[in-house]
Amino acid sequence: MSLTDRLRGVFVDALELPEGTDVENLTYRGIEQWDSLGHMTLVAAIEDEFDVQLETDQVIDMSSFKVALEMLRGLGVDG
Amino acid sequence: MNLIAPTARLIDAASGDVLGGTDLDAEVGRHASAYAGFPPGVVFARTGVSVPAVLRYTGALRAARPVALLDPALDPAVLADFIRRFEPAVVVGVAEGGPGAAPGECPKQYREVDDPVLGPVWVRDRASADQPHPDLAVLLATSGSTGDPKFVRLSRTAVTSNATSIARALAIGPDEIAPTSLPLYYSFGMSVLNSHLAAGATVLVVDGGVLAREFWQAVQTYGATSLAGVPYNYEMLHRIRWSPAKYPSLRTLTQAGGKLRDEMILAFHEKIAAVGGRFHVMWGCTEAGPRMSTLPADALPDRVGSVGPALDGGSFTVLAEGGRETEDPGVVGELVYRGPNVMMGYAENSADLSRGDELDGVLRTGDLGQLDEDGFVWLRGRLKRFGKIFGIRVNLHDIEEMARDQGPVVAVSGPDKVVLFVEGIEPDEARAVAGRLAERLKLHRSGFDVRSIERLPQLPNGKIDYRSLEAQV
Repeated sequence: MSLTDRLRGVFVDALELPEGTDVENLTYRGIEQWDSLGHMTLVAAIEDEFDVQLETDQVIDMSSFKVALEMLRGLGVDG
Repeated sequence: MNLIAPTARLIDAASGDVLGGTDLDAEVGRHASAYAGFPPGVVFARTGVSVPAVLRYTGALRAARPVALLDPALDPAVLADFIRRFEPAVVVGVAEGGPGAAPGECPKQYREVDDPVLGPVWVRDRASADQPHPDLAVLLATSGSTGDPKFVRLSRTAVTSNATSIARALAIGPDEIAPTSLPLYYSFGMSVLNSHLAAGATVLVVDGGVLAREFWQAVQTYGATSLAGVPYNYEMLHRIRWSPAKYPSLRTLTQAGGKLRDEMILAFHEKIAAVGGRFHVMWGCTEAGPRMSTLPADALPDRVGSVGPALDGGSFTVLAEGGRETEDPGVVGELVYRGPNVMMGYAENSADLSRGDELDGVLRTGDLGQLDEDGFVWLRGRLKRFGKIFGIRVNLHDIEEMARDQGPVVAVSGPDKVVLFVEGIEPDEARAVAGRLAERLKLHRSGFDVRSIERLPQLPNGKIDYRSLEAQV
């Protein structure tokens, strides 16, 4: 499974997104589910799924799906 | 009423615009004048975190219009019900945005107007027959509104005296710059705004909260000096290993809105003290407009767990068993607060808005606690059964009623969540109940933990054993 697909799955599960959500264009606070609490759930889920530990700035900078994807690539995570 | 001292400023983090001095005064005056064209009566202000929202609010205050600060994400049906019950002269902030924000349709007896100063508003065709009491200044919806939301009525005196007392207790001077870390319709967020404006300080208007990149960028760019948070904000900051060392301007942390764990208080106290700053634990409630006490920073770490003495102008007593009221240290009972910031009373409909002061400056807090020899308050839990979810007060009894169709149920308060024990509930049903409660109360579902239990424990007298359930949380 590609990194994009895995990350999409993490987003859908962590934020309990309805089917058909345009996950790849999501931004923090752009939808009700991705609020501060959703963000914390998401961070925990990403750390679990990809076995990484995010730094303070990474958590704060993770303002969109695309940023999260780039961040994981930067951490050397691949599909 | 003018809440704003001459040196006060608003900084719009999004645009970089700074509004201060005579310019700010003129803008507030322009907004105040804009209200003159509407029928007499109260203002409903859908209030997000934006400079226009602050100007609509402060303009209404200056125009001597009582103003209700409302969550823009309030369910349209709930907003419609509020409008029907309270008959506001005008609803402003109709276009106020944000996730989940939708005002719904312009209600009957109102017409939508695009006001050149205030933006899109709903104006009532005719004034309500019930006109607000002349002392009334601010209306705040009681948190934990479960099906029957009502307003807390705050007088001009309550709002201004609380703003200045807070400024004194926290030594807020003209050099302070406070970012809007909390919603402005929330009493704690409003009090940060009011106290800084009254002290002639700066309010850095930035949306997004403590997990948003824009927020911390603004803190750095504009040199914010303080941060206000509820327990879950601090829990989140702890979780992401946030440190104030990175923000050299930031030297005051304040916490209210529920009980933060002692170890968390000490951890943040140590972090901020290490860079020469201070951590203040505070206590309040919407009914006190909202602040009642502040723990001096130098009382940490020795007095961790206390919420400090009453603000200037306020005092506490304890209502001991048998109804005796005392200031004696060590006596446990319901805490009673007296001060000029105590609300006039509640309002459930427009007729209630005409009522005068019904409490005479005396507020029974519903919290159990005791005073020490220096008058510091030590809280010991709720007298009535309330929980707090992310700083929002919820009535445990009402929550039980909402889940009662699942069988025998008891709700108890956990750290920033409510735990419901339901006899024999299936996991799928438990999740559905959590989702339903979250939707109904407009709170995140992680605030509700629904667990199955074979039988609810009972005391010998047949009453539910809440203590043993609380021990399991």
